[in-house]
Amino acid sequence: MRLYYFVKKEFLLLSRDLHGLLLLFVMPSIFILIMTFALQNQFSSEGKVNIDYLLIDQDSGALSKELLESLGQISGLNRINHTGSEADLRALVAQDTSKFLIVINNEFEQKLAAGKTVVQLEVAPGTKPVVALLIQSQLDSILARFYLRQNLMPLFEATGQDGINLNDQSKTKDLLAVRSLYQGGGALPSSVQQNVPGWLLFAMFFISIPLSNTLIHERQQGTLARLKTMGFPNHIILMGKLIPYFLINLLQVVFMLLIGVYLIPALGGERLMLGDSTAALALLSACASLAAVAYALLIAQLANTTEQATILSGVCNILMAAIGGVMVPRFIMPPTMQELSAYSPMAWGLDGFFDIFLHNGGISEVLNESAALLAFGLCMLALATLLSNRRSSQA
Amino acid sequence: MITIKNLQFSYAGSHQPALSGVDLNIQDQNLFGLLGPNGAGKTTLLSILSGLLRCPANTVFIDDCDIASSDTSWKSTFSLVPQEYAFYSELTVAENLSFFAAAQGINFATLKTRLAETAEITGLTERLQHKASTLSGGLKRRLNLAIGLLNRPRLLLLDEPTVGIDPHSRHFILETIKHINQQGTTIIYTSHYMEEVEALCDQIAIIDNGSVLVQGALSELLHDQKKQTLTVNLSKPASTAQLEALSQNRVFSHQPLQLIFDIHSNKDVLAVLTELNQLKLETNQINYGRGNLETLFLNLTQRSLRD
Repeated sequence: MRLYYFVKKEFLLLSRDLHGLLLLFVMPSIFILIMTFALQNQFSSEGKVNIDYLLIDQDSGALSKELLESLGQISGLNRINHTGSEADLRALVAQDTSKFLIVINNEFEQKLAAGKTVVQLEVAPGTKPVVALLIQSQLDSILARFYLRQNLMPLFEATGQDGINLNDQSKTKDLLAVRSLYQGGGALPSSVQQNVPGWLLFAMFFISIPLSNTLIHERQQGTLARLKTMGFPNHIILMGKLIPYFLINLLQVVFMLLIGVYLIPALGGERLMLGDSTAALALLSACASLAAVAYALLIAQLANTTEQATILSGVCNILMAAIGGVMVPRFIMPPTMQELSAYSPMAWGLDGFFDIFLHNGGISEVLNESAALLAFGLCMLALATLLSNRRSSQA
Repeated sequence: MITIKNLQFSYAGSHQPALSGVDLNIQDQNLFGLLGPNGAGKTTLLSILSGLLRCPANTVFIDDCDIASSDTSWKSTFSLVPQEYAFYSELTVAENLSFFAAAQGINFATLKTRLAETAEITGLTERLQHKASTLSGGLKRRLNLAIGLLNRPRLLLLDEPTVGIDPHSRHFILETIKHINQQGTTIIYTSHYMEEVEALCDQIAIIDNGSVLVQGALSELLHDQKKQTLTVNLSKPASTAQLEALSQNRVFSHQPLQLIFDIHSNKDVLAVLTELNQLKLETNQINYGRGNLETLFLNLTQRSLRD
């Protein structure tokens, strides 16, 4: 009866706290949308890179056309057709409208035979050096092929042999196999698969601000002291906070996942794939929620004022998110940082979500992460109870 | 009802004891005034009585039950109304009353009738659906009091229940307190308003520096104030020269805008007033007679209640 009314009171207070609700639901939703679309290209795996470029063909001969075709076959490169003058195109590249400009010099074939410059590559100021190097190596490769063919073919023809087809790349493709070692050889997360669980976990841990604020207000207003004079047990106060915020955390999970599944595709992004195991998702979400709420209870016991609680939980959350791979994906972190991120509960949660979303993992695949989050939550809860009892005895 | 024997208490890290050997005896159905300047030890005493501070064993007994023991049966008929508005301002009056009733273990079947009864006593029936934050100061005080009445307490601790409210609301609350006391509830009442304590309480104790200075029936304590005084309220503070001139012939105590003279005969009154006139001290108000509670308090503590 007491617990029921305490939980009911919490829900009533929270339902009238517009700022708290905005912080819990709207802020992470906006984060998810912004980060998913802003980083869409950065997470793209094969076939999803989109590098725009401009091209000026001063030659228009057969070989330069072949060069254009070869460039067109490179996945990820996207030629922007522009009818402007050469100066216009250079100006566009200088303004970062496209990543680079390729100029095919006139007398392409003759100059190639003479070993003179046949192609100029002009890189936009905002293009990453690694992208410029990739383009340069692609062009080098094509030009080397042309050069070899131009110089070797006459030799084959003179000896009456059939020669070799330097244009046939179907055989050489199989010589190189590419796979990511991230997550033990699994797929890399896409932008939506990285950002939805990442910012969802961030939002779940941000529950520490409204939760600690309500508890500190109660302490400051004297309502907690009044409850104590009524013989209201400490553990019911803690449970009375834990239960509603645990449920709100789960509501956040559903809400954010729905954004990933429905809203992001509706806005032109990639759909979030939820994997095959609802049970694993429920287990991981419940453990992450318990960890977040128990951590929030500890913040509320450590802080004396709402300002302290806001700063403490804000700083801790941002640190956990930064090293946990929410803000910067773990797969692009250097090895030392990846090791460090293993200490963040948000990283445990994120790994668990990746197990489900990327590898179609079930309960057994998320048991480690769930157990770690559960253990973290129980430790936080034990510390919060200890501090709460100490506060009561010192009141 | 309440017996306190040689109660001593010190806060952790403090060299000065907050309570040093307090003895008090409060009878059943008393309306007991507990007075003392700020820092005297009133809040510490109330906190121990209400269980907020740990009580040393064998020092405080409520209905012969040592409150330091594990027997907490007395708590069900006890209530504290703190000075702060200790309720949820974002909940309505009814929601607050329901929550605190449930917190005290009042079952669902009786909750509704108890809520209506308490709202009736405190005049909040028409305000049940109002959010607490929208209530006036007087109505907030009533809600604070109402929460303390939900369990029909036999022992009620009221900590400054009328502070900061308008005269109409104060009158209503004082009448409510009288009514509750007449129904059989023992009340311990602390206030900075001497006239309230004088009008309400039948027994008082004055506490200072952690000790009880005096305790007993208010009427007897005032009767014992044999000394007659003349209290003069000034329109502006007396200068040092004026005070020195007065002190050559008179025994008096003074505050910035108040002079209190010891009077031995009616002739003295006229002589004092003549002297004040000669010294060009403008007076606002003059009170003459046997000491009231305030003079008793000032004589015992040598300081004002608001110090």
